[in-house]
Amino acid sequence: MAQVERFSYDNAIVRKFAYATIIFGVVGILVGLIAALQLVFPTLNLGIPYTTFGRIRPLHTNAAIFAFVGNGIFMGVYYSLQRLLKTRMFSKGLSEFHFWGWQAIILAAAITLPLGITSAKEYAELEWPIDLAIAAVWVAFGINMFGTILKRREQHLYVAIWFYIATWVTVTVLHIGNNLELPVHLWKSYPVFAGVQDALIQWWYGHNAVAFFLTTPYLGLMYYYLPKAANRPVYSYKLSIIHFWALIFIYIWAGPHHLLYTSLPDWAQSLGTVFSVMLIAPSWGGMLNGLLTLRGAWDRVRQDPILKFMVVAVTAYGMSTFEGPMLSIKSVNAISHYTDWTIGHVHIGTLGWNGFLTFGILYWLIPRLFNTKLHSLKLANAHFWIGTLGILFYAIPLYWAGWTQSLMWKQFTPDGFLQYGNFLETVTQIIPMYGLRALGGTLYVAGYFVMVYNLIKTIQAGSFIGDEAAEAPPASTWAAHHGKEHWHRWIERRPVQMLIAATIAILIGGMVEIFPMAMIDDQVPRIESVTPYTPLELEGRDIYIREGCLGCHSQMVRPFRSETERYGEYSKSGEFIYDRPFLWGSKRTGPDLHRVGGKYPHSWHYNHMYEPQSTSPGSIMPPYPWLLRDELNTSNTAAKIRALQTLGTPYPEGYDQIAVEDLQKQAKIVADNLRKDGIDDDKLEEKEIIAVIAYLQRLGTDIKPKPQAGN
Amino acid sequence: MFKHILESAGNINWMAISALITFAVIFMVSVVLVFKHNPAYIDRMASMPLDDSYPVNSENDNHEK
Repeated sequence: MAQVERFSYDNAIVRKFAYATIIFGVVGILVGLIAALQLVFPTLNLGIPYTTFGRIRPLHTNAAIFAFVGNGIFMGVYYSLQRLLKTRMFSKGLSEFHFWGWQAIILAAAITLPLGITSAKEYAELEWPIDLAIAAVWVAFGINMFGTILKRREQHLYVAIWFYIATWVTVTVLHIGNNLELPVHLWKSYPVFAGVQDALIQWWYGHNAVAFFLTTPYLGLMYYYLPKAANRPVYSYKLSIIHFWALIFIYIWAGPHHLLYTSLPDWAQSLGTVFSVMLIAPSWGGMLNGLLTLRGAWDRVRQDPILKFMVVAVTAYGMSTFEGPMLSIKSVNAISHYTDWTIGHVHIGTLGWNGFLTFGILYWLIPRLFNTKLHSLKLANAHFWIGTLGILFYAIPLYWAGWTQSLMWKQFTPDGFLQYGNFLETVTQIIPMYGLRALGGTLYVAGYFVMVYNLIKTIQAGSFIGDEAAEAPPASTWAAHHGKEHWHRWIERRPVQMLIAATIAILIGGMVEIFPMAMIDDQVPRIESVTPYTPLELEGRDIYIREGCLGCHSQMVRPFRSETERYGEYSKSGEFIYDRPFLWGSKRTGPDLHRVGGKYPHSWHYNHMYEPQSTSPGSIMPPYPWLLRDELNTSNTAAKIRALQTLGTPYPEGYDQIAVEDLQKQAKIVADNLRKDGIDDDKLEEKEIIAVIAYLQRLGTDIKPKPQAGN
Repeated sequence: MFKHILESAGNINWMAISALITFAVIFMVSVVLVFKHNPAYIDRMASMPLDDSYPVNSENDNHEK
């Protein structure tokens, strides 16, 4: 070697993210376990707002995705990026800002979500000030990553880095697109888009959060750490190139498969289905590339727990990416959607793919950071088996529960009536499955604690190498090279051009799907009788959002006989034009509520919220006694009306001035109605429950007096 | 005939068709180009994680056997 430069890798930042992913993994999984147990033992909701299922669920999903997996991504990227580029990170300051900023965001989420501060968009629940903070930290990460790429000593960019680049650019686009919102005050905003358009953008985001936060960065990690652990090059580098470009191009189109049989226009649904089915090709190409990397090393898989974790992780990726396209076929989706099948499916991905790959990387990485050996291979093997059993006990009962419940929903008697007309029958039937799922979660947590113990002992036995000395030829040895070269070698030597190409690839799909929906009014047929929510209903709706009701209740009656018989007329896109945000939901632990308006008397809702089991024996819904106790805050009502007017809701000019007066008038009518049924309370008109009842009684009633097809 | 097949698949309009064609073209071109790569270059890229550092202290298998 003619000349080499001496430098060092920054392991301190890798250690920080490793500790964060270990700690937040425990938090995220434990919160998930509590939520799972609440479905079996509703008393675990504790009767207080901050611990009810509706607020705990987004805390769990955010902790698992952005705290556990997020920190896991950064741990893996900061370690591999430096080594693949043979250089130290671009900026120590940016690394530190990235780390502490990300943890501050997690802390903000852990505080705001239990407080009910949420935008109601799944996996994007955090309110606008935190969204801005996420953008700032994400940009810092991007500058740090591209700065490192630009000062690299290695001429070519390994495929893992392409996945990191695609992750960064796509998450940036998704985060901006799905968080276009107008603030009402510091902790409340309304989205720019409404109803069906909001739904399309949310699931364009939601699906691609899975694609570009839970998948592409982890594929990058797979392409680095699996060859490392197996001590073998990737099976086919050519396949990895095709895998990359095909995956990032196709993934972005598949979002509408979350909205099959909803009010989304048919063409958008079909587009989602076609691309979802196509997605199996690059996904399985990547999976096989990962598994075949172990060719000739399968004997080591028997002994090496790191390889075991990685093999199961890649297999789980293959299972999820087979199941995903299958669930996107409309006839399968008709069965799976709104059931626990979907929950089982996503947990194969998070527990198996993300969880096990993170564990494999941690077991590989921690001993290297601390220049020692893993404390106990036996404990790592035990963790592997406990965790694998945990996944099986988690997923299989949920598949069973999903199929059972869906078939019960659709079952008719020979006379043509619903066999299980009471929704609750279909819930109580699957509670044993929920119990088994909680057992699976407990096993997974138990395995996790075994890992924590093993890693702590490893860390205690070693000595940390904060700055790992390394040497490599300088960039000048290749920077002067010019001449004819292959196009792909050309592009992957140029990170900026790579960034632009990846951006174009992901934007094509997004634009084709979203532009027509966002720009053309014809896509959402208007219905004359649909009017904006009254101020009281609006406040009730915001309480519905605060309590996370959409975590268990959909507001979308699909055009199936089994649903129109149970709930009423199927939902029309024109009914949602004033819904900011849309609240279609994605899971029915309880029944759909889109046609609940007028179905029960006010007093039924009052008693139901106070003690759900009093009106629905056997219900697993938590009680909401504080709604009957707390007074409705109307100090922001006028500001909410003004914000909605700005966004196009046709309230009359100056209506914000009389909105609270109107609210009080309607509240008195609701309260008087309750008093007729023998319900009275001090200042009944001023309680939050009055607004919630007004909202629930409004739901789906716009088209009832004079039904119009709409489309 | 293809139009009929696509239409019967669920009211797919021109956007879906153009999307499929765009993907098919990009995919086929990338496959052809990828297979025209120099094998030596591919081998070097494939083994990059394995020789991604020249650490001063050698990188052994750091967990017990």
